[in-house]
Amino acid sequence: MSVSANDSPKMNLRAFLAKYSVLIAFAAIVIFFAVASPTFLTLANLFNVLVNNVVMLAIVALGLTIVISSGGIDLSVGVSVDMASMVFVMLLAAGYGGVAGVGGGLGAALIVGILNAILITRLNISPFLATLGVLFIGQSTQQLATSGGQPIYLTSGYAADQFNAIARTALFGVPTPVIVLVVVAVAVHVLLHRSVFGRYVQAMGAQPGVAWYSGIRVPRELSLVHMLCALLAGVTGILLSATVKSYVPLSGNAFLLDAIGATFIGTTLSRERKPSVIGTLLGVLLLAIVKNGLLLVGWNFYWQQVGIGVLVFLVLAASFGLRRASH
Amino acid sequence: MNATALHSEAVVSDETRASAKSAGRRFGALVVRLGAIAAFAGIIFYFVLLAPGFTSTFNLINVVEQSAILGVLAYGMTSVIIGGGSDVTEGGIDLSIAANMGLCAAVYATLLSMGYGDMLSVLAAIAVGMAVGALNALAVVGLGILPLLATLAVLNVAAGMELTLTQNTVVGASSPLLGFLVSGSFLGISALAWALILFSALVIAVFHYTSFGLRLYAVGGHPEAARAAGLSVPFYVSFTYVLSGFCAAVASVLTVSRLSASTPGSGELLLSVLAAALLGTVFSRRFVPTMGGTLLSVLFIGLLVNGFQLLNVSSYWVNGVQGALILLVVAITSFARGSEGSR
Repeated sequence: MSVSANDSPKMNLRAFLAKYSVLIAFAAIVIFFAVASPTFLTLANLFNVLVNNVVMLAIVALGLTIVISSGGIDLSVGVSVDMASMVFVMLLAAGYGGVAGVGGGLGAALIVGILNAILITRLNISPFLATLGVLFIGQSTQQLATSGGQPIYLTSGYAADQFNAIARTALFGVPTPVIVLVVVAVAVHVLLHRSVFGRYVQAMGAQPGVAWYSGIRVPRELSLVHMLCALLAGVTGILLSATVKSYVPLSGNAFLLDAIGATFIGTTLSRERKPSVIGTLLGVLLLAIVKNGLLLVGWNFYWQQVGIGVLVFLVLAASFGLRRASH
Repeated sequence: MNATALHSEAVVSDETRASAKSAGRRFGALVVRLGAIAAFAGIIFYFVLLAPGFTSTFNLINVVEQSAILGVLAYGMTSVIIGGGSDVTEGGIDLSIAANMGLCAAVYATLLSMGYGDMLSVLAAIAVGMAVGALNALAVVGLGILPLLATLAVLNVAAGMELTLTQNTVVGASSPLLGFLVSGSFLGISALAWALILFSALVIAVFHYTSFGLRLYAVGGHPEAARAAGLSVPFYVSFTYVLSGFCAAVASVLTVSRLSASTPGSGELLLSVLAAALLGTVFSRRFVPTMGGTLLSVLFIGLLVNGFQLLNVSSYWVNGVQGALILLVVAITSFARGSEGSR
């Protein structure tokens, strides 16, 4: 980075743009929608975005943030979401209590994580392929368990009360799902950025070989990483079922692409492209606000998808392209 | 018979290398590779014995026909993996290929239903497919975005554009070309099957029997060395993405002919395409992606689905078995690579 004094302001501007491209995009988008739609900046709308679009995606994305920090990827987060949702709803349908249902659901998600961990650490399969295989198997499992993908609706009676107890309650005016997100975000932040475990994870992501030679028990830590990710996806599965009062097979996959997108949008915040909790949350917010804003200015669902794709593309292009130019 | 073949292979390498260690290593890798292929063969053999009508010519041609779409897409994916290197997070991958096919199919069917001719509609579909491929190339080569991320964003754009074009409905289409693809036949083999056979011959020839193909492997295997040797790495990598887009367009014509329409939900093919391209590596000596290997794994997946249908096994098992096979093959591959890599 030897920069002559002459062109340094320009270079600095480029580096600045590269570093803060997400924040700049974020601000520009908020301003745009605030001007374009009078309802966008109302408290009611922002609250609606937070509860309906942010919470569930954010929890999945935070799990993925841990995995991506460790240098891996988890394509099976959707399966973890679905398995938790399936077991939770099935247990409630069979007359078990809410606590047993939540416990069973989280347990099912954890099994997915353990399976990933075994494949990656014991059989030395690359995370991409291991979790791709688990994704296939998870889809089959759901189809077989629901005779081809029949949804289970529990809209009344005891189960509905249990769902409402999770999704429709509030503490000091804050809905329970939002509280769950705050707890998860703080916990993952402490774990990833303020703990020894987090140090290990970052080390494995940066230099797997060095991490191994410096005495980090890589298989053990990697197993924990994948189990944590699956568990968090399971939390989203429970919240999802409780919110829509049903289990719809294969619905978790919708989170996968958005969660990967959000996490990597977040990595543009750091010079070394490391994922971070704050970056991921920002990525999730960006996607959610664009979706909501496009809806408010009258774009239908189909155009929203184009819009999101173009936006993610532009943010990535700005971040990667400007950084490459500034080197 | 296998044992003697293995033995002679080991002896040959022993003589040439004069190193027992390298011979043992090679022997291990060979055993592992044959083991994976034997697993494939075992499954096929099971169907041959138990599935009624499995080996009939009619059924086998049917399998080739059904595999045409997956095959053409898998060639596109394989070319990207060859040119970009097979590291899955950093290397070449095209997640947008299935969505791109959906978009091309929508364009093709929509133009046909608006009354335009085959020529123009096919050209438009190919132009759209290659444009999407060029967008991927621009993102990966021009802007330096990770292929995984770049093609993920393009996936969303392509899928969204398909939805806006068709409003998530089925667009029926019929034309002389489609009619020919469905019902035409030559030497008792239908046009769809011919499409796969000819396309396979073309890509295998280009990738494995020309210097161009060799250079593509060089670029993917070691970009720095390829650059030092004077190859234009950006050109070759861009080529693979545009070729992938072209494959998506060709596959879109095939899928419209099979279904007489463009239908939503083509994105679901992505996982099978990935599986086919990745499973194919087990058929190569050094576990690299090859077009021939991809063809074999595509046919294998086709036979698997077909065998299950004939045995009346629920099709819900197919995904699971496919997933288990990926894990098996990759575990075996990583084991073989591990024993090879421990020098």
